[in-house]
Amino acid sequence: MTDINNDPKSTKALNSQLVKDDVKRAVSRRSAIKSGLALMSGGAIAASTASVANAVTPDPLITEIQDWNRYLGEGVDARPYGSPSQFESEAVRRDVPWLTADAKSSVNFTPLHKLEGVITPNGLCFERHHGGIAEIDPADHRLMINGLVDTPLIFTMEDLKRFPRENKVYFLECAANSGMEWRGAQLNGCQFTHGMVHNVMYTGVPLKYLLAEAGVKTAGKWVLPEGGDASHMTRSIPLDKCLDDCLVATHMNGEALRPEQGYPMRLVVPGWEGNMWIKWLRRIEIGDKPWHQREETSKYTDLLEDGLARRFTWVMDVKSVITNPSPQAPIDHGRGQTVLSGLAWSGHGKVSRVDVSIDGGRNWKPARLDGPSWSRSVHRFYYDFNWDGSELLLQSRAVDEFGNVQPTKNALRAQRGVNSIYHNNSIQTWHIKPDGSAENVEVS
Amino acid sequence: MNHSIKRISVRAYGVAFFLIFMLGASAAQANDIENGKKLYRQCAGCHQIGPGASNSFGPQLNGVMQRGAAKVESFDYSSAFNEAMAPDVKWNSSSLSAFLEAPLTNIPGTAMAFPGVKSEDERTSIIAYLAAIDVDGNLTASTDEGAGKADSMAAEAQPRMLAADVEVPTHGVLHIGRAALAEEVAAWDIDVRPDGLGLPKGAGSAIAGVEIYDTQCAACHGDFGDGTGRWPVLAGGQDTLTDERPEKTIGSYWPYLSTVFDYVRRAMPFGNARSLSDDDVYSVTAYLMYLNDLVEEDFVLNSENFAEIRLPNEENFIADTRSKEPHFNGSVEPCMSDCLPGVATISQRARVLDVTPDEDI
Ligand code: HEC
Ligand code: HEC
Repeated sequence: MTDINNDPKSTKALNSQLVKDDVKRAVSRRSAIKSGLALMSGGAIAASTASVANAVTPDPLITEIQDWNRYLGEGVDARPYGSPSQFESEAVRRDVPWLTADAKSSVNFTPLHKLEGVITPNGLCFERHHGGIAEIDPADHRLMINGLVDTPLIFTMEDLKRFPRENKVYFLECAANSGMEWRGAQLNGCQFTHGMVHNVMYTGVPLKYLLAEAGVKTAGKWVLPEGGDASHMTRSIPLDKCLDDCLVATHMNGEALRPEQGYPMRLVVPGWEGNMWIKWLRRIEIGDKPWHQREETSKYTDLLEDGLARRFTWVMDVKSVITNPSPQAPIDHGRGQTVLSGLAWSGHGKVSRVDVSIDGGRNWKPARLDGPSWSRSVHRFYYDFNWDGSELLLQSRAVDEFGNVQPTKNALRAQRGVNSIYHNNSIQTWHIKPDGSAENVEVS
Repeated sequence: MNHSIKRISVRAYGVAFFLIFMLGASAAQANDIENGKKLYRQCAGCHQIGPGASNSFGPQLNGVMQRGAAKVESFDYSSAFNEAMAPDVKWNSSSLSAFLEAPLTNIPGTAMAFPGVKSEDERTSIIAYLAAIDVDGNLTASTDEGAGKADSMAAEAQPRMLAADVEVPTHGVLHIGRAALAEEVAAWDIDVRPDGLGLPKGAGSAIAGVEIYDTQCAACHGDFGDGTGRWPVLAGGQDTLTDERPEKTIGSYWPYLSTVFDYVRRAMPFGNARSLSDDDVYSVTAYLMYLNDLVEEDFVLNSENFAEIRLPNEENFIADTRSKEPHFNGSVEPCMSDCLPGVATISQRARVLDVTPDEDI
């Protein structure tokens, strides 16, 4: 990720965008109410946002026959490739325009607050491109293996289909996820603070099978995957990692990769930073030393307070965030029983535990993990509780199977300063106000 | 493998056949537009086109042949460009062709930092494509849809090969894929390592780099590598790494010169990657060193002196030491109650909320 700095002028721009969107949302809600009123012939506004303990007048949505109760809907062929309900139009990727100079080398964010379970739908997986989306006809795509191998090889897509393949669910997180939050609370919504992560089931060929076809020479220790897009993205990866668990994936969540995710093939590097998962993969070179490419020198190195910079910081550390409630998903029902929900993941392995605090980290209760628990896949957690309507300072803290603990923001800053950009896995705080709205804050 | 090579040539033949014999004159035009659309990709880095196109580095180009030159009100044309355009003049094929051939010579001082399209045929195609797009960004002339059909018909006519006739290669374990040819590896293997491995033979001087940089890089990266707008800064920032706002550039941060050469060769200029010759990359790398005060203006970079050159920040890169931090590897048992003294107080709110909305975004 480039240029993630805390630029207050640009923050203004984002704020204005957020405000505009809020206004849009309010307007559409208002017109919904208006049309409701017209239908209701003067009755109460039933079942709108705030819940009503006792109805005074009958709900016209129940007592009157609605259009969809009477008229036929579209037939089977109306939507050959289905899309979400028109009422889910806010569940979309969004960007922060001021972060980068051009949309072709930029990023957008997964709407985590709109999602459930552990799998990210293909159309909502965040995007990060360095030269725009390459549109490649699979018939025109070639994958080359060269360097320290017995036989440099070329594979076509048809060739790739003949290798044994596997299905694995992994999260992919950009190393710069939460990068804007190093200096302090900045962006208001988990989509923007944490939305550079997605979790997908990949179908792919273990990289070791492809390398075995070419025959890696004993001097070979490092691997350089390269993309076929206009940025020709490259990263150096140790050979051991490639032989261990890397995949060359052709499918995500059961269908062919989306163009923005590297169609027709991308590298999968489980648990490691997203930039290494080369999209539009076209070449794999074997060498005896790393290449020190731009994305492992100028970028994706972690500058520390003393001016030293860590390089080759590949693993994504244990991390969690509460997705609901959160600034884009306030509590609308007033006090009473509520569901707190969130996501946790670790590039080291499985998440073993998530704790939740409602008092800004003074006291913690274990959350309930639900759904599949796979190594280096996102875990879903819930904390069901009765909200008394008072202010809350919500936090979540994940622990993985190796005892790595998600640190507080201050603990991480004490180790690294505030200019690391990458690998911010610290604990997020949401302030829930008496009206149920939520804000990104820091606590002491 | 053989199979797909055959298929491709059959397809090309099929398309050509179809266009020449079935469509006559308009086919050539459709072909131009199709071609122009492909060639337009080198422009797309700076110019949006199509429904909803907006200005980016250059003005959006919807209906550019109809709307009149320099007529996008929301775009800030350079004064050189404005002056070169008579009021209400429209682009025509010959004026646009002359401009596109060498923008910087045709209109000295134009902000269109682009070396130009040298081939006249290519310019003709690009102009046919631009002319076919109306002011709303819709393609007006029909590019031919039948071609696809001809393609699949031709492909079907090809008899399927007998499975037993396929030649199985001997390499590897599963015997899949084919051996890469040396020319193919050379075409794609362009990476360069700090020790100079992968460096092509060649040379370039900082002085020769000036012209390349000014015409092809400065528009985004600034005249002195200082970056225009939010485009990356390439020079300066020395001794700022421990400052509150470090400036990370080639001179202040990058550990190796090979990364400059490698990256410029593979990815720059943005939107026209792989267009520079090896010597041009040497020259522009030498000039970037000059802009970073690393060499004098008479410096010449070549494949012999390259690997000896060191950048000042090289030794400040260290290995990943995260696992020594206290929150790793079970060294801290997470606290469950009364973990911090007193009641939590808010020390900072999302700054977004504190800033007055700014309308001019
Ligand atoms: C490096 C960015 C860049 C590239 C690449 C580029 N242009 Fe431009 N272009 C500009 C800018 C900036 C202007 C405005 C000229 C000025 O203000 O001096 C411009 C102006 C133009 C105009 C005149 C627009 C008008 O409103 O009169 C046309 C036509 C045009 N470009 C076509 C092209 C074509 C075709 C290509 C590709 C072959 C191309 N450009 C490549 C930046 C670029
Ligand atoms: C149209 C705008 C544009 C032009 C023209 C352009 N660049 Fe770039 N340059 C970019 C963008 C955008 C990036 C960042 C890309 C990314 O992050 O993936 C970049 C990145 C770079 C970087 C790496 C910066 C860093 O800090 O990591 C270098 C070096 C560079 N460009 C050199 C050049 C050279 C040399 C030229 C001319 C031959 C050139 N650029 C022309 C837009 C441009």
